[in-house]
Amino acid sequence: MPTIRFLTSECAVQFPDGDDVNMLRVAIRNDCGVPYKCASGNCGTDRILIVEGAENLSPPRKRERDRLGDLLDQGWRLACQVYAAGDCAVSWDPEQKPLDASAVDKSLPNSVDDRIKNKWLSKKDTD
Amino acid sequence: MSKDTSAKLLNKDEFRAALEDAIKGREAKNASFSMAWANGDLKREHFARWAENHYHYVGPFADYLGYIYANTPDHATDAKDFLLQNMYEEELSDVRHTDLLMRFAEACGTTQERVMDPKNMNAVTRGLQGWCYAVAMREHFTVATAALVVGLESQVPSIYRKQLPPLIEKYGFTEEEVEFFDLHITSDEVHGERGYQIVLDYADTPELQQRCLDIVRAGAEMRFSYTKALYDNYVAPDLVGA
Repeated sequence: MPTIRFLTSECAVQFPDGDDVNMLRVAIRNDCGVPYKCASGNCGTDRILIVEGAENLSPPRKRERDRLGDLLDQGWRLACQVYAAGDCAVSWDPEQKPLDASAVDKSLPNSVDDRIKNKWLSKKDTD
Repeated sequence: MSKDTSAKLLNKDEFRAALEDAIKGREAKNASFSMAWANGDLKREHFARWAENHYHYVGPFADYLGYIYANTPDHATDAKDFLLQNMYEEELSDVRHTDLLMRFAEACGTTQERVMDPKNMNAVTRGLQGWCYAVAMREHFTVATAALVVGLESQVPSIYRKQLPPLIEKYGFTEEEVEFFDLHITSDEVHGERGYQIVLDYADTPELQQRCLDIVRAGAEMRFSYTKALYDNYVAPDLVGA
């Protein structure tokens, strides 16, 4: 049977041959500790680095491409968007937070704080 | 609902398997409209009629969940949080889900006014919507979650995974026009799993477990009937004399 290895939490889950399974659903069902929030490819909290078995995963979906941008090329996927059909191994930062839009769109200010300040404070307020 | 007084308390693995069994044989993906959809036998006007009905079933989903939320006791914090998160995702977290449905509907040639007009749903859809409201308002929160999330919402990925590819490959819709389906394939995987967990955790008596099983069976039958009625009302008449 194929196995998904969740390296960060040292958790391994097998699933039947011939199935393909949603990575985040498997993680939640088996308490594997992948952080998540929205589960619809929007927040990016559930990003996982594919360490092994990228060829056994479903191709990136539209939301994943939109949300991850360059991170996709660096081996990151969104667990809620990925289906596994064979062996793979993944890791993540246990403390990771939702992806800020600036992580993929470099034209945006670096942090939510900056964006809020830019929107609501005048130059005089920030000097 | 039947009451099985001989029932014993099932452990979580047994109960999950029994819930899955309650859906088997009643999956909406096997109803006539779903089969015609997957086989490439429908026309755009059939999808338009689907959208005009589907809106009235899923449009109030956050309302249904709101009633369950109000019936959920304070100590069940994780269940309340799940319901609130689910409502938020339906309406506000990103794009409103019904806006995506409307985008698809318009690509099928119908209008926002027609989709929102309740006169355009058939009687079986009206029954499904009423059943969802009644269950959400009147049932124990665990039983209502079993009905709406396990019985109905958890089926969505298996239905749409079969229906999305032909929308693009056979019917010629664009990826943007069918985003409603793409979004729900993945989001309802997680909603379904979280729903299962809540039902497994809080149905802690044989009687509650039995009520959950009965209502999951009923919910699956409701969704199957709703899907079949779409074929009977809109597709079958087109085949007469064809």
